[in-house]
Amino acid sequence: MNKSQWRTAAMFLMPYGVVFGIFVLLPVLYGFYISLHKWHILAPKPEFIGLRNYKLVLSDDLFRIAFARTAFYVAMVVPLGNALSLLLAVGLNQNYRGTTFYKVAFYLPVVMSVSVIAILWRWLYSAEFGIINHYLSQIASLGHQIAPAISPAALKPQWLNSPATAMPAIALMSIWWGAGGNMLIYFAGLKNVPRELLEAAEIDGAGPWRRFWTVSWPLLRPTTLFCLVMSVIASFQVFGQTYILTGGGPYYSTLTIILYMYQQGFGLYQLGYAAAVGYLLFGTLLICTLIQFKLLAVKQ
Amino acid sequence: MKKGKRRQAHIQTKHVIAQIAMLVVALILLAPILWMFSTSLKPNDQILTAAPNWMPHPISFEHFHKLFTQAEDFPVARWLFNSAFISTTVTLLALAFTSMAAYAFSRLHFKGRDVLFMAVIATMMIPSQITLIPSFLIVQKLGWFNSYQGLIVPGLAGAFGVFLLRQFFLGIPVELEEAAFMDGAGPAVIYWRVVLPLAKPALAALAIFTFIGAWNDFVWPLIITNDISMRTLPVGIMIFQGRYVTEYGATMATAAVCSVPTIIAFLIFQKRITEGIAMTGIKG
Repeated sequence: MNKSQWRTAAMFLMPYGVVFGIFVLLPVLYGFYISLHKWHILAPKPEFIGLRNYKLVLSDDLFRIAFARTAFYVAMVVPLGNALSLLLAVGLNQNYRGTTFYKVAFYLPVVMSVSVIAILWRWLYSAEFGIINHYLSQIASLGHQIAPAISPAALKPQWLNSPATAMPAIALMSIWWGAGGNMLIYFAGLKNVPRELLEAAEIDGAGPWRRFWTVSWPLLRPTTLFCLVMSVIASFQVFGQTYILTGGGPYYSTLTIILYMYQQGFGLYQLGYAAAVGYLLFGTLLICTLIQFKLLAVKQ
Repeated sequence: MKKGKRRQAHIQTKHVIAQIAMLVVALILLAPILWMFSTSLKPNDQILTAAPNWMPHPISFEHFHKLFTQAEDFPVARWLFNSAFISTTVTLLALAFTSMAAYAFSRLHFKGRDVLFMAVIATMMIPSQITLIPSFLIVQKLGWFNSYQGLIVPGLAGAFGVFLLRQFFLGIPVELEEAAFMDGAGPAVIYWRVVLPLAKPALAALAIFTFIGAWNDFVWPLIITNDISMRTLPVGIMIFQGRYVTEYGATMATAAVCSVPTIIAFLIFQKRITEGIAMTGIKG
């Protein structure tokens, strides 16, 4: 250890270190500082108010709604999205012809921007002109022919326009958008399952279903934990979808936490309050992650 | 024997059914994207038809033409330039900065190295959206609101690249560097001449992730710009569709313009991307 080694290291670390310090470390600390203040963007001087923002947020009805709606979204997207990713990965792992095509097809939505998928799905969801309702109405009229009790107009959801269906619609879109990402991780996990174990199970007479649940699934546990933790963290931060498609409506049915933070911070300029919303979400995510680790971590 | 044959045939049928199911799922998942391109290439009178018309006939580029010619309210060409410029710059600088840091963390010996590295990695667990407010205020204080610096520099801070490249550098045999050291090369030369060329696969994977991520970023450009000429494509097309919500041909054309570059990048580098994800467990 000498001076010149230090100097070399500092030289190599400097460019990244400066950016990291200003745009990662500083915001984390500064954000907490802001959250302790009544901080209106136009006010001359922020006023220190301790933890009052946090108290206000926690007793704010709209925040509670946002929290509940976000939890509803997470409860749909995380299990269903991961199930779809795993299913697609299992499909890929069969090594059928055209595996590369399938991989590309399943992953393609992931490389698109949230605003592209939101604009696209707004049209797909259009109650009158969207192709989703078009094909649903065809299914309904087919059902009508088989069982006349079914009305041909039975399947015509209002999707984004109705409080009952808006959040499920956004969840469905997000599942489609993100499934390919976790799929590749599950796929890598499946590839790591030792062949000998699967062959041994086959010799013992286990069918594919049994082989999956008794051999592959237990070995996938770390992968599953990783994917679940990452999707919970990502889903709780849902913003672009609700911001672009619904703005939180109808009747706050799609108001999500980060959208609420955005509205408070950049709509009403209550920066201290908005920062407190962000930190409360941070705390929630930490707790969620710890719980998942407790429940799913591989027992030694 | 006969029984065995029947069983074989049974398994065969099962495989055929499974393959058909895969194909159907793939087509359903691709359908929205195909519909986007199909709509963007249709003349207006073919868009709102009673039955969905998947193949535009004839193919028409009128929506794209319009996008790039009536530029006053919606400077699509400018947004395209902004997105391309920002994503490319972010990618190049991020590669340079993170590879230098990763080299220090993997090859140089200095006090506190591992503690420092752990601190950097720990920040990967911090959800990015929660620091939007402080980051916004910092950029504003720097006078970078509505500027390319504001759009580019914060995008260089991600810890993932440091993590990925450090792992890769650790896998490079030290002997190669020792040989260069014996020949009198300093750390800068070793980094540039030995380590970087050997790390090409990892650098390529990181480059493509960074590019796609920067291109698609929505929240940061949304809050850090408000001048219409400083918007990026993802934000711009959102504003555009707010005005022309029922003009499906035009909005799908903007969506196509915004997604074609990342789709092409993905198709070219799909092997690198899918392997990179398998290697590191990160999504694009």
